[in-house]
Amino acid sequence: MAVEINGAPSGAPAAAPAATPVPASAPTPTPAASAPQLTPAQQKAKAKAEKAARRAQVKDTRIAPAAAAAAAAAAQTGAAGSDAKKGKGKPDASQPQGKPGHAHRPSMSGRRPSIAAPVEKVIRNPIPECFSHIPVARRVPTSQAHKDVHPAVLAVGQQMASFAIKDSIARLEATLLAFRKVIESYETPKGNSLSRHFVPHVLNPQIEYLTECRPMCFSMGNAIRILKTKVNKFDIDTPEEEAKEGLLDSIDLFIRERISLAELLIARNAAELIGEGDVILTYGRHRLVEKTILQAKANGRTFDVSIIDDPYDNGGQDLAKSLERAGIRVFYSPNLGGLRSGVERATNVLLGAEAIFANGSLQAPAGTADIAMAATNAGRKVIALCETINFDRERVAVDALTYNEIDPERNTAESFRLLFDNTRDKYITGVITEFESGTGNSPAQAILAILRKQEDPTIN
Amino acid sequence: MAPSQAGYAPTLEKLLKSLKSQSLDASIEALIFLLKRRQVKGDDCANATARMLLQLVARSQWHDVDELLLKVQRTGARLAQAAPHEPVIGNIVRRVLGLIRDEATEDRNADEFGSESVTDLQSLPVPTRPGANPSRPSLVSIATTAQMSKSMFNLLSVVDTADSPMTGASTPVSQAQTTSAQALRSEVIDGIEEIMDEISQADDQIATFADIQIHPGDYVLVYLPSPAVERFLVKASAKRRFTVLITSLNMPKATGEAPYAALRKKLNAAGVQTINLATNGLMAYMPRVNKVIFGAKAVYQNGGLLVDSGCYIAARAAQEYSKPVIVLSGVYKFCPEDPADGVSSAELGNSSTFVSYADGPAVDAFEVENTVSEYLPPELVDIYLTNLYVSFPGGVDVFEVLLLLTVSIGAPKLEVILLESWPTTISPKKWDILSSSTHEVVDAMGYDAAHIQAQQRTRSFPQSPVGSFGN
Repeated sequence: MAVEINGAPSGAPAAAPAATPVPASAPTPTPAASAPQLTPAQQKAKAKAEKAARRAQVKDTRIAPAAAAAAAAAAQTGAAGSDAKKGKGKPDASQPQGKPGHAHRPSMSGRRPSIAAPVEKVIRNPIPECFSHIPVARRVPTSQAHKDVHPAVLAVGQQMASFAIKDSIARLEATLLAFRKVIESYETPKGNSLSRHFVPHVLNPQIEYLTECRPMCFSMGNAIRILKTKVNKFDIDTPEEEAKEGLLDSIDLFIRERISLAELLIARNAAELIGEGDVILTYGRHRLVEKTILQAKANGRTFDVSIIDDPYDNGGQDLAKSLERAGIRVFYSPNLGGLRSGVERATNVLLGAEAIFANGSLQAPAGTADIAMAATNAGRKVIALCETINFDRERVAVDALTYNEIDPERNTAESFRLLFDNTRDKYITGVITEFESGTGNSPAQAILAILRKQEDPTIN
Repeated sequence: MAPSQAGYAPTLEKLLKSLKSQSLDASIEALIFLLKRRQVKGDDCANATARMLLQLVARSQWHDVDELLLKVQRTGARLAQAAPHEPVIGNIVRRVLGLIRDEATEDRNADEFGSESVTDLQSLPVPTRPGANPSRPSLVSIATTAQMSKSMFNLLSVVDTADSPMTGASTPVSQAQTTSAQALRSEVIDGIEEIMDEISQADDQIATFADIQIHPGDYVLVYLPSPAVERFLVKASAKRRFTVLITSLNMPKATGEAPYAALRKKLNAAGVQTINLATNGLMAYMPRVNKVIFGAKAVYQNGGLLVDSGCYIAARAAQEYSKPVIVLSGVYKFCPEDPADGVSSAELGNSSTFVSYADGPAVDAFEVENTVSEYLPPELVDIYLTNLYVSFPGGVDVFEVLLLLTVSIGAPKLEVILLESWPTTISPKKWDILSSSTHEVVDAMGYDAAHIQAQQRTRSFPQSPVGSFGN
């Protein structure tokens, strides 16, 4: 306890040597022995120095096993642990009010040390240092999750970590449906109000768990922000049942409007752009692109499709088969080697986006940028399809190393892969969203305007 | 057809081992077989061609120069046709042909005129090649296909009968004495051995530029590292600490062994970090990369390259982020040809590795295009490192080399035709280089140098991108 006087989260040195894979055992006994002779100030300085040393060591090992260190660190109460975690878990979490969520940390750590040991055995291969700032999804064993995490959310988290659900919109939908279950089973404790209690004590642990499993995508961040605003708007005296009803309704509406209807509208709008005799080039398999092409076919157009696949994903093959069944002629190139012939042949390029940044650049599966650039340089139209929920109004990125994710399967020097890349807006002719009625086309730079208009329909 | 090694698939190694023990024709057929099956690729092609032609010169029956030339042409054409996407085979054949003519001319000059203008011309100063070449400069003499070379050959014969003062030193004629055939044979064999030496030393010579180009702390992206690139990196690792990002479009095979293990081990031992990028697109990594390096399969006369599929996206991405693209290539890969148009010159390969034949619907459903090699336009290249000199787009003077060699062979008319009909324009800078060695020839032919120059200038100049540095 002596060490914890300083109040800093540097406490619990006893746990540190046990869980850290670093030979930290030597310095730790010293403070206990020498503590009585030291003034509080000296003690504090000393604790600080030790903390710095520990951190340095942890950092050393982290260059390399960032994931492992974080996993081990997260599992202990040590300061280095929670710091490493903050560094890791947060960068992609798009919840403005996420910070207060840390308040519940103590309860989380309360039960963790007991199962910390088996975790550290899983020593991953090091992530190369130059990419060590990029987060990576990891499977948090359900046994290690916070006790407040709802079973439905646990399941979704596991599915996300294993990439069974990987598409941004699929993740969003799964998250919302899981939150629906959370709300249904929520009961406000006595003396609390839903609008004050629900977010910090119930919703935030769920969000943190999901973020730990895999960094949140923008659509999740946006949806959660909207949900939180909704909760905060309830008057403190609103009856619990009424508030719950209201929340469930708004989630349903959200899914209907921003996901189902959006998909329909985008496919309809984009299908209009496919002309008779066109050759459409696309990359991998994206839900919206597939819908669009099938819609155009259903509209009676005749055209060919050229698919460039990502060999690490192979979704393009499924797309090819699905289009073939619809009677569309398909050229298939297994990797970007077919880029030139694909672009030469194409009239239009249809790309699905994972997200769009405030500056109009596109986050999409790695390889998209190469295609968009080559196509633009060859004078082809490049159309990106994206729901407005994937737009981000705060973040700006001009390269792919700012916001990205590492493929958890390939995160070592032996084999390394980033999941996304960044396509600058100059390589995108237009973005099709569900929002603009009528044509639904807008240049990528117009994103902020679209968002503003969406917030306030009175703007025209 | 293949070397008879029971139970084993034929390989180039086995073929080269058994060269002595089997008949010449069988060896040639075996090599053609290997080339057709793409079992001999890239750098091996040059070496294999040279060795096969060596055998041809040494072991076949021929009595005079024409007969030898014809034999080499025919065999060369068959080899080149077996692997149309390996222009380097044609290069080697042309060099050997040039070599034979050269030797024959020297012989006859010695007989008839004493050593004269030809050898003088050979020792002309070569502005962009700072004397590093230990072997003879004869690179190319006549154009690509057998068809073409025949017509050029006729042209040489015509020159022979013309009564210009220079033409005495032109084509060898059929009355070359059979007694000198034996001497010629050994001369030519020596020459081919020199070519083989040059090929084998090229990678090491290119590697001498390594620590000039690679700086401490660099992130170097290498695409599908060829032996030349590997040598280059290893050489650089002796002096520099940098990081190598190794990438290829092909998915690593699921054997458990990480790709390029040997190279990575070597580099890691020298303190150079390596990262295997298992990725399709390369744009994501470019902000981190300082330079992109890959080897060329061939360099065309416009400076464009024949490269492994995927180099295009690497170079493209590098250009987007203004990172230099460095291409390694021995001069024996410089072709006096124009590339076919970019897309059609791509070679398509086996598709079964990508779509399993077990997947019936997939086999039926779509047309799989697995690109193996492709054309890379010169705009995407910043630096060419060769075994002789450093160059840049616009500075790749296959043309100049070619012209100089036609001068050395002594075919001024051919040279003028080359000048007039060259498909790309000659920049004023190039003309200046050329004029020093060709003005007098052109004058002697009765042509007006200014006339040719004007003719060249009237064509629109291609933009001549400024390379990172000249020499």
